[in-house]
Amino acid sequence: MKQLRTQMRVIFALVLREARTRHGRARLGYAWAIIEPLAMITFLTLLFSQFRTSNGPDGNFALFFATGVLAFQAYRNTSVYICNSFAQNKNLFNYPMVKPIDAALARLFLDCATHVFVIALVLIGQIVLMDANPPHDIPYMAFAMSLLFFMALGAGLCLAVLRRFSQAVFSLYLIVMGPAFFLSCVFYSLATVPTGFREILKLNPLVHGVEGFRTGYYAVYPNDDVSLFYLFTWAVTLNFLGWIGERLTRFQNQ
Amino acid sequence: MIELFNVSKTYKLKSGRKTILNGVTASIPWKNIGVLGRNGAGKSTFLRLISGIEEPDSGIVKRSKSFSWPIGFRGSFHPMLSGIENVRFVARLYGQNTEEMIDKVEDFAELGQFFYEPVKTYSSGMGARLAFGLSMAIKFEVFLVDEVMAVGDAKFQAKSKAAFKAMLPTSRIIMVSHSMSSIREYCDSGLVIDNGRMTYFEDLEEAIARYAELNK
Repeated sequence: MKQLRTQMRVIFALVLREARTRHGRARLGYAWAIIEPLAMITFLTLLFSQFRTSNGPDGNFALFFATGVLAFQAYRNTSVYICNSFAQNKNLFNYPMVKPIDAALARLFLDCATHVFVIALVLIGQIVLMDANPPHDIPYMAFAMSLLFFMALGAGLCLAVLRRFSQAVFSLYLIVMGPAFFLSCVFYSLATVPTGFREILKLNPLVHGVEGFRTGYYAVYPNDDVSLFYLFTWAVTLNFLGWIGERLTRFQNQ
Repeated sequence: MIELFNVSKTYKLKSGRKTILNGVTASIPWKNIGVLGRNGAGKSTFLRLISGIEEPDSGIVKRSKSFSWPIGFRGSFHPMLSGIENVRFVARLYGQNTEEMIDKVEDFAELGQFFYEPVKTYSSGMGARLAFGLSMAIKFEVFLVDEVMAVGDAKFQAKSKAAFKAMLPTSRIIMVSHSMSSIREYCDSGLVIDNGRMTYFEDLEEAIARYAELNK
């Protein structure tokens, strides 16, 4: 019990420190953490609207794209951020109560809060300024999003563990996330993908998170192939490997 | 104060593993203790082990007192954060009253306006003063000292020493040093680490004699 209280205290201290230092040099401070994805998503939405790769269930492409890119970027940014949590907080592990897991959890909480805020801003913007339909099932969206964050933690932990042995892991992951953008149903719907290719795409857990998020947004959405349980299985497996891996390799590279 | 049950600890070198403790079972009392051993025997790792920063490869380490980080440690200072923000972070970690701790450190470190400036603008002496002030601001039951004790100019050194001595009635010190004079100044007992074994001597002079033998 006492240990749990200490851990909460440590994570709280880390969250405040990370929030303060993440964009420390900028005058606007943490506002950058909001502005950056906001600008990125707005830019991508404008860009992809030129192509109209899908009509979306209600003919509003900008909204369709925004729901996809919000879910995808939340996963991507969070997992990348957690990937660096051990290396960038290495010195803090000289305080006995600060464990690597705490650094990862602090970043998870901070990025969750940031992205939930960004998601709300973008969607409210779409509804108010661009007359988009409001969301249908917010709890379901939140559920799909939580699973994506849970998987981001698992993936981030696994990467952070691997990064103890090779710096290249981080660059490699960034490279992989490039094509992942095109293979995660960000700007098209899984139901519109030809059957053969769909069977392959379905193996990508992010597809289910992105499409799950949309399923919640739209009152009617073709989601026959979408399985949040599949995403959950991935998330649990990655978390399991990450937590065990962290424990086993903690002092390997010092 | 510390109980070791069959504790083994190694650390990794390019050419293989170096053994520091090899199945050590011991009970170390709450006293001022000097840790002696040759270069590379693992004295610093031993400090990290007993304070809980590192865990043993096998065996159990039990602590019944609160341990400081090695005094003067400043690796945790974030260069972009100001002195006061760095202090606040450590206060939160240790569940201390933030404002009280800030007052103590500000008063002790004598940084003036720099206390509110980013740590990256500090001279090395200023950084060391902040680190020492931070260490002195929490009433640990055991302070760990790894070689460096004296920082800053003569005046600050005298002040540090006085602050440290003032802690001694309620705190103890575990010290790693190659300087026998500073060990004699602070410690009454000794620990000798050699070749995977650890021996505790109630009497410091016996430990120093054993250490001198090792160096022959």
